[in-house]
Amino acid sequence: MKKIPIKVKPNLNINFAGIKLKNPVLTASGTFGYGEELAEFVDLNLLGGVIVKGISLTPIKGNPPPRIWETPSGMLNAIGLENPGVDVFLTEKLPYLRKFDTAVIVNIFGYSLDEYVKVTECLEGVQGISAIEVNISCPNVKAGGMAFGTDVHATSELLSAVRKATNLPIIAKLSPNVTDVTEFAKAAQDAGCNGLSLINTLLGMAIDVRCRRPRLANCTGGLSGPAIRPIAVRMVWQAAKAVSLPIIGMGGIMTGDDALEFILAGASAIAVGTANFANPRATLDVLEGLENLLIEQRVGTIQDLIGKVNVR
Amino acid sequence: MNRLSKATVLSHKSVGRGYYRIVLNAPEIASAARPGQFVMLRVSENLDPLLARPFGISDVPTKSSVEILYRVVGRGTTMLTGRKAGEQLGVLGPLGRGFPLPEKNTTLVMVAGGSGFPPLHFLSRQVGCSSHLFLGSRDRACLPPAGILKNFRSSCTRVHIATEDGSMGTKGMTTDILNVFVTKLEKKFNIVLCACGPHSMLAAVSRIATVHAIPCYVSMEERMACGLGACMGCSIPMKRGGYKRACKEGPVFDAQEIDWSERVALPFPQMNKRLNTRER
Repeated sequence: MKKIPIKVKPNLNINFAGIKLKNPVLTASGTFGYGEELAEFVDLNLLGGVIVKGISLTPIKGNPPPRIWETPSGMLNAIGLENPGVDVFLTEKLPYLRKFDTAVIVNIFGYSLDEYVKVTECLEGVQGISAIEVNISCPNVKAGGMAFGTDVHATSELLSAVRKATNLPIIAKLSPNVTDVTEFAKAAQDAGCNGLSLINTLLGMAIDVRCRRPRLANCTGGLSGPAIRPIAVRMVWQAAKAVSLPIIGMGGIMTGDDALEFILAGASAIAVGTANFANPRATLDVLEGLENLLIEQRVGTIQDLIGKVNVR
Repeated sequence: MNRLSKATVLSHKSVGRGYYRIVLNAPEIASAARPGQFVMLRVSENLDPLLARPFGISDVPTKSSVEILYRVVGRGTTMLTGRKAGEQLGVLGPLGRGFPLPEKNTTLVMVAGGSGFPPLHFLSRQVGCSSHLFLGSRDRACLPPAGILKNFRSSCTRVHIATEDGSMGTKGMTTDILNVFVTKLEKKFNIVLCACGPHSMLAAVSRIATVHAIPCYVSMEERMACGLGACMGCSIPMKRGGYKRACKEGPVFDAQEIDWSERVALPFPQMNKRLNTRER
């Protein structure tokens, strides 16, 4: 690694599966709406990209409240993938995002293989979409979602079908609720995916001991936030060793240090999630922190640090 | 304006009955805030608790300051009590949609239950029309602090109190005395109901409003993570199906919009029975 003089602005450009990102900082799906919700606080032009909230073929109402519960250094959610559907996304949400010089990655899901394929087809040839992130790991819906992401055969079948439906790069968002994440990473690679997103939320539960009822109406929910970061780093590290696909690392990233942890573990890009709720400027704080770290360590280009954790 | 800022705590005191009053130096929020809107306060800069807490704005005491009245209910509010004058707090706001401000010839009827009075405190100090406040609680000790009651008494035409044990005001439910009041009114036009409190009380107020064909606005509470419409956590069920976000489309909603059936199992059985009879 070439040491560069102090105070030279590092090169944060990343080529992720053929997508040119101006920096590796993205927004995790479901934590940044469709960009507009937080644009008052974040100039979207400064981000590497926006991964939008999950889109399905038809509008989804979502789960009844209460949908969220705070836990130590984290939170449980069971939103239930509420979204306005792909038609509204294309006519009302995407035109706003097109105004910005940032990569738009569209997160999709369905309740059947057929629905995944159909929503993918709706995005084919649409201007302003850089890639599709396929959510096979939402823990909060009964059919679809995690049902695909925790069965390696279902994962293969689904991702192969989505692959055939589009020429856009596809990124599989894998579930951490599995024993061996590398099996799923390999299945995604064999199915022709161009990248991986790791990790989605961990299935959790909290109980009100006075009412003796679950805190969430859905009973269980997905755990996110700094509480899950070590698990996410471990899974990124395992997956990065098992496959050659580039990885978007996520799970409790709050600072530039946290982001670099994922990059050293093998992630080529990172996504800021729950931190956006705690601090709407979190993405920019992470970006600034990352840049300062590179300056401090006199690293000229972020590319040089991907997977560079020293394991003795 | 920049809705995300650091605000210096100007004063922070216990005001009795388990409530605290914190005043923040926040000129931008003070000039933009409307009654019914809220702010997200970071009770600590650490990762635990991770999320900011929503608080209804209870007053804008000066052009540059914002007052929050809160009751200690859990870990977040307990930690907040430790923040001293001179310290800085992360604050996001003003957020959400507030109460519509009633016109001069209107009679504003406010209904507060439990710790739901702060947004109505702000409202009562902003309106120029005649106003009534209906306050209800389990007993005398659960009513708003004496100083706040005094403020309400000076800004409202009349304050009506009901306690379940009869230790102050009329014995019974707020909604009972509200119903009697509204029924006795000769002219039911130009009345607006604004309510904030427990879900069951709001549902009952909404029914009274429906029966008497009075416009009714309710401030809804739901747990929220971001306050900005991104997390989709604070969903309120709507009558026409689906949900709206308390942080963005609310927290104040037209009571007619809300599907009250989704959560409650008859909080005031005697009252529902009476209303049902009337409806028939």
